[in-house]
Amino acid sequence: MNQPISKHIFRAYDIRGLYNKDISPDVFYKIGLAAGTYVKHSMHGTQISVGSDIRQSSQSLVHAFIAGVTATGVHIYHTGTTSFGQTLFTGVALHADLITFVTASHLPPEWNGLKFYYGDGVGFPEENLMAIRDLVLHDSFELVPWNHIGQVTSVDAKSGYKHFFTSQFKFKKKLTIALDCGGASMTLSAPEIFTALGFQVIPVYCDPDPTFSKRPSDPKPKNLTTLVQTVKKNNSDLGVAFDGDGDRAVIVDNIGQILTADQTGIILGKYGLKKKKGTIIVNVECSKSVKEQLEPLGYSVKQIPVGHTFLTLEAKQTHALLGIESSGHFIIPEYFLFDDALVIPLKIAQILDRVKKPLHDLVMESPSYPTKKEEIECADNIKFEVIQQLKQKLSKEYTQANTMDGVRVDFEEGWVLIRASNTSPIIRLTTEADTTTILQDLSSQFMKITQEIIQQIKTKLRKDVK
Amino acid sequence: MTRLFGTNGIRGVVNKDMNSTLALQIGQAWGTYLKKTILRPKCAIGTDARLSNHMLKSAVTAGLLSTGCDVIDIGLVPTPTLQYAVKEKRFDTGVIITASHNPPQFNGIKGTAHDGTELTKDVEEAIEKIYFSQQAVLSEWKDVGSYSTWDGAIELYINGILSHIDITSIKKQQFHVVLDCGNGAGSFVAPILLKKLGCIVTELNCEPDGTFPGRHSEPIPENLTMLMKVVSENGASFGVGLDGDADRAIFIDEHGSYIWGDKSLSLVGKYITKKKKGGVTVTPVTTSTCFEDVIRQNKGSVIYTKVGSPIVARAMKENNAVFGGEENGGLIFPEFQYCRDSAMSLAKILEILATEKRPLSELIMEIPSYEILKTKIACPNEKKEQIMNLLVEEMKTHNEISDIDRTDGLKLYMKNGWVLMRPSGTEPIFRVYVEAKEKRRVEQITIFYKNLVESIIQRL
Repeated sequence: MNQPISKHIFRAYDIRGLYNKDISPDVFYKIGLAAGTYVKHSMHGTQISVGSDIRQSSQSLVHAFIAGVTATGVHIYHTGTTSFGQTLFTGVALHADLITFVTASHLPPEWNGLKFYYGDGVGFPEENLMAIRDLVLHDSFELVPWNHIGQVTSVDAKSGYKHFFTSQFKFKKKLTIALDCGGASMTLSAPEIFTALGFQVIPVYCDPDPTFSKRPSDPKPKNLTTLVQTVKKNNSDLGVAFDGDGDRAVIVDNIGQILTADQTGIILGKYGLKKKKGTIIVNVECSKSVKEQLEPLGYSVKQIPVGHTFLTLEAKQTHALLGIESSGHFIIPEYFLFDDALVIPLKIAQILDRVKKPLHDLVMESPSYPTKKEEIECADNIKFEVIQQLKQKLSKEYTQANTMDGVRVDFEEGWVLIRASNTSPIIRLTTEADTTTILQDLSSQFMKITQEIIQQIKTKLRKDVK
Repeated sequence: MTRLFGTNGIRGVVNKDMNSTLALQIGQAWGTYLKKTILRPKCAIGTDARLSNHMLKSAVTAGLLSTGCDVIDIGLVPTPTLQYAVKEKRFDTGVIITASHNPPQFNGIKGTAHDGTELTKDVEEAIEKIYFSQQAVLSEWKDVGSYSTWDGAIELYINGILSHIDITSIKKQQFHVVLDCGNGAGSFVAPILLKKLGCIVTELNCEPDGTFPGRHSEPIPENLTMLMKVVSENGASFGVGLDGDADRAIFIDEHGSYIWGDKSLSLVGKYITKKKKGGVTVTPVTTSTCFEDVIRQNKGSVIYTKVGSPIVARAMKENNAVFGGEENGGLIFPEFQYCRDSAMSLAKILEILATEKRPLSELIMEIPSYEILKTKIACPNEKKEQIMNLLVEEMKTHNEISDIDRTDGLKLYMKNGWVLMRPSGTEPIFRVYVEAKEKRRVEQITIFYKNLVESIIQRL
């Protein structure tokens, strides 16, 4: 079992791997040693909070992690098996120095991993995660003598969290919600809280199912057919689907239409915020309609790179009112800085309770533009170089080019985003435009530019080899 | 083969030889062993109050879960509480994180079989074999074990004790007991038990604290001076001192005098055989003859075993014994469970006092007294076997010896006494125990045999 640990399990925002292949209790023990060492030395902290999602492998990993952390003399608040929000909420309430959660988010059940957040709920930056990675890879841990071993305090993450929502939200109407937890971690919080708030809950996969046998834990449209049918059959006011750990929510309206994150975000911005002044942050993949709809109301919409870590970090720095990630992460900092998905359907329900219109009507108020997502094959060793050259070239040609994450070029009638995938040998080309004709034009134009640069680099590489 | 398990589990200094890496791998080896015969083993795990308890518990738990065993965490408990829970709740094994009476820098891992008895040597060796050959079998992601907590073990245990004793008689007496838990795991049980039995309790060191601030954990006379003082100054009925994981209890009489474990063992043995009009009892060869004297007086018999409480417990089970135990305060009550149990010992002493209605010192006075001298001689481990062989040869020519017992080491019976010579299983020493009625005789025998062993060591 003493095989070397792959550095590839350490990704930009979290740790992920296949159980018993890339990650195991032995690996998590070392990650615990590294996290403890890091908290002690680099953060001058004393306390890590940890919980785990419902996956079958999470328990062996979380206990190994705790054994590692305590061996370095750092104490543990153990929140147990919870949804993402329950552990984060409790970690923030207890002022932990670092909050960790064992999960592989929406990935299939044979995967697992670990997420890191600061004590205020802000995501852990990549460079800090890489510092922990280096401690793991170099076996650079500091163990303490017997009388300084860390202690473990088991904490109840459920009642305080529930109380928070039941005191923050009040509803006049008895709304009907179809709740699709996918058998995953949200089964541990959502059904109980919605019921306590007086909703008529129509459960869809709300029994804990640690092997995700009912539906994949990624709430993509194709995995939500049961939810959509349930909404229609029961004339629900809304439906919601969560991912494996509960940091992403997908909303379904009363006629069974699955909303994009942009559509949900626009409704939240238009109807869900008290003030009509301040910053709303969106990642570079978000639709132009967000800006079009929300800026006239008085908000300023700010683009940020893709990744929920940036979302939380930016929200804190800019005192944003709302953060929208195209993948379905949202933050509403009046509640938390972290991306707990439970807030989203509650906030939408609160809007429905007040505006007295069906959700579908609110969706239809804003236009939805055609989009296109294409994948261009490109070897891992050159994909970042391709993006680099594209940035230089397009910045010269288009003054409005945005290079904070890949390169995005905005036009009157649409925009294009070209980014390298962090995980696969792929370059992604995303386009949005007012009409399908413009969409096709923009897409093929920038596809051609990208292909040319890939060819140039390949040719140069071949020459260099010769 | 190198051994991990000693007489009482695996022990070591925390974060040195007893660390999470070892604990994780032990958990995996143990789980692999269980999985060979059980589809989905259920393992109870508990700890004493040491500072490293959570760390090691988490590591063993991770190991067990990863091999496909379910883990039920029963929290901070005395060792016999865990053992009782394993038996009563039909768990497949029990794991206790404890270093018993060792200093606070130590910790350890000890196991029980499905019936609550300590693991046999065969099982320990099977686990060691998997550990050393790195043959632990890890489960696939979907077969990883489930973890849960259960906080009913202490209540189950206390109720179990109460159902085995005469509560009414004890309550009537309103005993005043001075209780010294040594800041160990007994703090979670003994105070509650005594109060349920209507006792007035004066608590010493009954706050669980892994640094053992009150006293050293081993209940030997020098560690119980405060207890002795408080008993005599307060006119208490008696005092009781527990070790770190509360499997052993040592008693102090109403005058504040320390009662050696042989004597309390004999008192309880006497009471039980008297009530049952005889019966088989079991104790190691190191126990004082006073035990055999009182058992025989009550038409009972004694089976002698090798040193080690698991061995005593096994022999009790095999021979359907009515009682057994060691001379260190570890008493075993087979009607309750086959392991050392301080809380049950305490309850039984209360019952005896309530029945006899006489002070503890008087009851102890009635137990025959012998002089005992225990010495040790430095001796390299590799010479031990050869020394034993030479000693046996030598003894054939000694005609003062009336009987030879080879149960554990070499025990020689002679006129008015006996000598036991046995190599230590853990340290590089040779132990010599001598017992006789008179002090001079004891010294005489000790000098003779100590010289003999030393001369043999010299010769080699």
